[in-house]
Amino acid sequence: MATNVSIFPGSESSESTMPQSRASGPAVEIGIPSATWRMLASQVRTEPLPSNLDAAFDTARGYIARLKYRTGSYLARAKRVLALDPLYLKLADSDLRQKAFDLRALFRTGKDKPRDLLHAMAIIREVAYRKREEKHYLVQVAGALAMTDGCIAEMATGEGKTLTAVLAATIFGWRGKGCHVLTVNDYLAKRDAELMAPVYEFLGLSVSSISGDFKPDQRRAAYRADITYCTNKEVCADFLRDRLALGRTKDLSGALLGKMLYGAGTDKLVMRGLAAAIVDEADSILVDEAVTPLIISGEAPNEEQVEAFKQAADVSSRMVQQKHYTVNHRYREVELTDEGFHYVMDLTEGLGGVWNGARRAEELVTQALTAREFYLKGKQYVVAKGVPSGGAEACDPDEPKVVIVDEFTGRLMPDRTWREGLHQAIEAKEQIHINPPKDTYARLSFQRFFRSYRTLAGMTGTGLEARREFWQIYHLPVVLIPTNKPNIRRNHKDVVFATEDAKYKAIVREIQRLHMTGQPILIGTRSVKHSERLSEMLQALGLDHQVLNAVRHAEEAQIVAGAGAMHRITVATNMAGRGTDIKLARGVREIGGLAVLAAERNETKRVDRQLFGRAARQGDPGRAQAYVCLEDELLQRNTPRLVRLFRALCGKSDKPLHNPFLTLLFHRAQSKAQRMARSQRKMVLTTDDWLDESLGFAGTE
Amino acid sequence: MAIERPTFHESWYRVAELHPRLRSTVQISRQHFRAQPWHVVQDHTNNAFFRLAEPAYRFIGLLDGKRSVAEAWKLTNDQLGDDAPTQGEVIQLLGQLYTANLLQAEVPADTHTLFLRYKKRRSREISSYLMNIMFARVPLVDPDAFLEKWLVLLGWIFSPVGFVVWAILIAGGCYAISGVPNWPSQLASSAGGLLSPDNLIFLYIAFACIKACHEMGHAISCKKFGKQSGTGGEVHTIGIMFLIFTPVPYVDASSSWALTNKFHRAIVGAAGMWVELAIASIAAMVWAHTGTDSPVHAFAYNVMFVAGFSTILFNANPLLRYDGYYILSDLLEIPNLGQRSKDYVFYLVKKYIWNVRFARNPAYSVAEQGWLFAYAIASFLMRVIVSFGIMFYLANVLNGALIILAAAMGVAAIITWVLMPIGKFLHYLATDSELARVRTRAIATTSIFTAAVLIGLGAIPLPDRARAQGVVEPADLRELFAETDGFVTGTPALALKPARDGLDMPYAEAATTLISAKNPELEAQLAGLRADKEYYRIRRDVEAVKDPAHAQQDQSQMNADDEQIKMLQERIAGLQLKSPIAGALVLPDLESKQHAYLSRGDSVGLVAGLDHFIIRAAALNELAGPLATEANRTVEIRVQGRPDILLSGRIKQILPAGSDRLPSAALGYQIGGEFNTATDDRQGTKTVENFFEIRIDDLKLVNAPKDVKTHNAYLDAHKLPLFPGQRVVVRFSFHKKPLAAQAWTALLQLFQRKFHF
Repeated sequence: MATNVSIFPGSESSESTMPQSRASGPAVEIGIPSATWRMLASQVRTEPLPSNLDAAFDTARGYIARLKYRTGSYLARAKRVLALDPLYLKLADSDLRQKAFDLRALFRTGKDKPRDLLHAMAIIREVAYRKREEKHYLVQVAGALAMTDGCIAEMATGEGKTLTAVLAATIFGWRGKGCHVLTVNDYLAKRDAELMAPVYEFLGLSVSSISGDFKPDQRRAAYRADITYCTNKEVCADFLRDRLALGRTKDLSGALLGKMLYGAGTDKLVMRGLAAAIVDEADSILVDEAVTPLIISGEAPNEEQVEAFKQAADVSSRMVQQKHYTVNHRYREVELTDEGFHYVMDLTEGLGGVWNGARRAEELVTQALTAREFYLKGKQYVVAKGVPSGGAEACDPDEPKVVIVDEFTGRLMPDRTWREGLHQAIEAKEQIHINPPKDTYARLSFQRFFRSYRTLAGMTGTGLEARREFWQIYHLPVVLIPTNKPNIRRNHKDVVFATEDAKYKAIVREIQRLHMTGQPILIGTRSVKHSERLSEMLQALGLDHQVLNAVRHAEEAQIVAGAGAMHRITVATNMAGRGTDIKLARGVREIGGLAVLAAERNETKRVDRQLFGRAARQGDPGRAQAYVCLEDELLQRNTPRLVRLFRALCGKSDKPLHNPFLTLLFHRAQSKAQRMARSQRKMVLTTDDWLDESLGFAGTE
Repeated sequence: MAIERPTFHESWYRVAELHPRLRSTVQISRQHFRAQPWHVVQDHTNNAFFRLAEPAYRFIGLLDGKRSVAEAWKLTNDQLGDDAPTQGEVIQLLGQLYTANLLQAEVPADTHTLFLRYKKRRSREISSYLMNIMFARVPLVDPDAFLEKWLVLLGWIFSPVGFVVWAILIAGGCYAISGVPNWPSQLASSAGGLLSPDNLIFLYIAFACIKACHEMGHAISCKKFGKQSGTGGEVHTIGIMFLIFTPVPYVDASSSWALTNKFHRAIVGAAGMWVELAIASIAAMVWAHTGTDSPVHAFAYNVMFVAGFSTILFNANPLLRYDGYYILSDLLEIPNLGQRSKDYVFYLVKKYIWNVRFARNPAYSVAEQGWLFAYAIASFLMRVIVSFGIMFYLANVLNGALIILAAAMGVAAIITWVLMPIGKFLHYLATDSELARVRTRAIATTSIFTAAVLIGLGAIPLPDRARAQGVVEPADLRELFAETDGFVTGTPALALKPARDGLDMPYAEAATTLISAKNPELEAQLAGLRADKEYYRIRRDVEAVKDPAHAQQDQSQMNADDEQIKMLQERIAGLQLKSPIAGALVLPDLESKQHAYLSRGDSVGLVAGLDHFIIRAAALNELAGPLATEANRTVEIRVQGRPDILLSGRIKQILPAGSDRLPSAALGYQIGGEFNTATDDRQGTKTVENFFEIRIDDLKLVNAPKDVKTHNAYLDAHKLPLFPGQRVVVRFSFHKKPLAAQAWTALLQLFQRKFHF
């Protein structure tokens, strides 16, 4: 799968929104030549991952880094920041602003001392209080301090990460080279930028946000702001487009020569280098989604190929499983049998074109079969009309499209396409218009992109599990920041069932039971299909509920925000509405806070924790429990043999199963899935390294 | 997707619009391997090579700097269909050609990666240098211009004319050797002196000179055929290789790989030996026509040995990575034979044991598979043998402080040849993506195999045996002494016949007279006494009536005389030397003793009983220690020279004190035994090291060929086909112990012996 971005950003959007740049005060005019230079200097880092003994040494360094970046020391420094509070509490606005500007000048020159950082934090804190009436807690300051050191701060959900980011972003912004605050979606970028703009403004910083429909000019302006809120996709795409604009010579001298000779080149750039970034939800952006490469592509009409996909779909529909092909569920693969191969050869004889070659024919048919066997409407994709895509391609809004559903979030991903013709095979299967595969112009995995930042910091609710990976790939230490108030969430033991039916029945019973008490309930499912199934069951019982999947981010956030109301039932795919807190309505706290039910365990423990973390935020009460069954996809895919054994042992009873080994089974399935994902991510990076080394004649990527 | 060679590749866009081409200095030559055309891409400026298969060549051939990669790829696809390289393969191919410095594109190369690559290559070179420290190479000069000049003069060597001259030389050499009387033993007897300290320097000089000629042979032939076929055949490096720390010249004739004719490549490979054998022939003629004492003769022998024997043993051996290997590889038309044979065996494991999908078969045809498999097995065995050989050689040759060097080299060898491959294999097993699906299976089978080997070595007790040499001796051995002084008058022993065929000692039954002698004095005394007795008898008879008292006196006189006569008679009987027992006789110098005077107590010889043999074996400390406690009393015995005869026996006694006198010179080094004897000892029985004597009795015949069993004359009373004085090998068996424990003990003993701890 790849995220596709059109080469012409915002070409489809009709209205041109001005960038949310609010530059004010005596902001220093950004020196464009140096910005250009920095952009040119931001090479995609080609340093390969260390191997063998070097890797062991690097891991050892990671362990040592844990000693250096300790939670305790950040908390101690944060206490000193809080102790500075009286100094600035009484200052007049103008004096405070002057102090801030003095510090900005200091940070700009890079001559700041450690204690200046503490004072700066204290000032920002005071400003945040005056402008937003929110004062950073001790733990928030500690988290921000960790981030200024280039760490990942693990802060629980609902601990005010948006506000925390302001502290660190201001420091990076003052350095004058720009700071990107990366959020999960455009809506959050816009919301956060607007929310925090008064604070930044007061501190002498311009702030802007970028959304998918921005035109290059708007983007350029937005990047010129000191602090830019945007999504990882946008920033990476802009970076790639800039590199495309530079042509094959991307180094400084080459670009300058080009400018002298042809007079063009650097003027088209929109970015000004990758100086610093604060990544919100760092684990999902830097780890889970990081392997999906971002691709800049353009149209490449190819009638013959489109026809071939149709023919392949036709051929595949005549084939019989086991007889003509075998299906491997574990690796999600289809393989032709000898008979199937000859069958294909017979059927395609005389079709000509690509069907002349046996290899290509086998490939096409296998792909069509894969599309049929493993890509199910409603699960991996939906066929929808007029889904707007951020990349805004030239497409008829009434034309039905295959839209990928994100497996993690259950969200529609109109920008994404599957690779290697699979997307077309699915379109052919659905008998809708086939968009021919596009030509790739540039391609970059987020992993590599983020490695190119000079300073990278992040925040996440769940970073510890991925600690090793953060270090290996980004050299980011993870610092665990405690919650402001002790967490009193009750985590109940998983309830295990033999069958899915039994599981869902039990979930509904539990919902009914909790609903009677008035407690708000959030049910997390792993796919759109499951959330719909649950919704139908609730509907049948006449239970009023909200379903969260595949809607606009803004509405999503509203629904999520309202999920804490009395008697509310919300069915959501796992990470829907991330970034928005579920605030408890009045009276809910007394009856036990939000109850989170997971309808399945996820591939990684982190995602489980993220879901559970939605309950009991900021010292509220809450409960969390997972309902799982032996038919869950997690087990089917990762421990197929063991689960068969357990299913034989446990029978088909509707009652919850009690077997101490079941916990182990789920644990094993999860760790196996995580291991596989991890090695896959590492492989992506190694492959990139190899390509870089051996394709040196093709210039840098 | 379950497709072995997917057509498309996601990184295609990076190369699609490029217009690369081979560098202008690159030359391509076509070769055929097993009827398949291949194309060798060669760059004379940096001596880089690359071998392209036909489809890849078709693609590369289309890249002229004007066509883009995408266009060339499309054309290739149109032409070749399924055989055309896929996008992934094209990317890999371009990458490899670029890494081999054979490709250039219109874009300036990424300098950063260029430097990284350079660094990587350097570090690889250094590490391979360190890995092969036993074969370290130091390049010295570029002989190309020199060869260019001398080619005119020397090129004819590798032509038909040269071959005729060479053949005549070889024939001459053989003829010269065959002219030497008794030449096989002549040749063999001098071999012992080769490694003696005073010869080593000559040996080395001969070695270095010959190897220099050898290398020049490669260089000249490479140059000659290179020029002839137009591929250049440049030779740019000549240097010194430290072959196990011994400097030897070497030459880099790798440009012969580009030669199109396989026989030319084979001749380049054989050129060194060609030259050496010619030299050996000349040396043979010299050796045959010089006197045995002259230094020229000795030197010629050295040359002959190095150029003839060592060449055939090492250079011609295709299982070692010397000339023979390359010749074989060229003649079989299997380039890179060694690596690919390893790959092939590994492929078999991957495919049939691990069930890896899409495992790539390195063989292109069935016949090739056979060759690869056979070569892999043979070269593996050879490698093991050579490794052990080198180890033992070093352990034997080096002493004292130098043994530390040997130990260090041993450790280095273990690291590079054992530990690193194991480490690499484990890394592969744990991380390689190829095994992603079958990892459990791969790890399981590997573990089972390893466990089986470890259990086999470490847990299953195996017979632990040791051997010692011994000699057969009669259990009953009597020395013959002269009992009475006398002159020898007859030697009937000389007329005795041996007891059975094959035994050259005369055999005597018990009480057979062996030597008769005479002692006139005793005879005179006897006659005197007898006369004396007669006198008293007559006097007694006369006195009997006259004076009975006197008669009584005479009677007692007579009795005393009788006693004396009896004694004398016994002494005279002692002059007839009789064998006390039945047995074989050892009577040295018996002929010369005719008429000689033998004093009483003089030793005349031995008589050995042939109906009861024992074996006296000698064992060194290491063996004698465990023998006393751990060994089975029953031992196996084989007669040296007759391995088909098996006997058994029992250890009767292990003499408690060490000794330095061998039971027989037969065990000493001087006459072919295994014990080093002191050089100043004439008898050849005084050993350098102390040993313990073991006596073995109760000998029984276990197994023997029919001819030995039925041929009664061959057997003694106990039906044992043994002769006294015969050398036998005694095999002791200890309590069963796992192989690992046995090896550990042996290693400890070796160290103990070398370091005396």
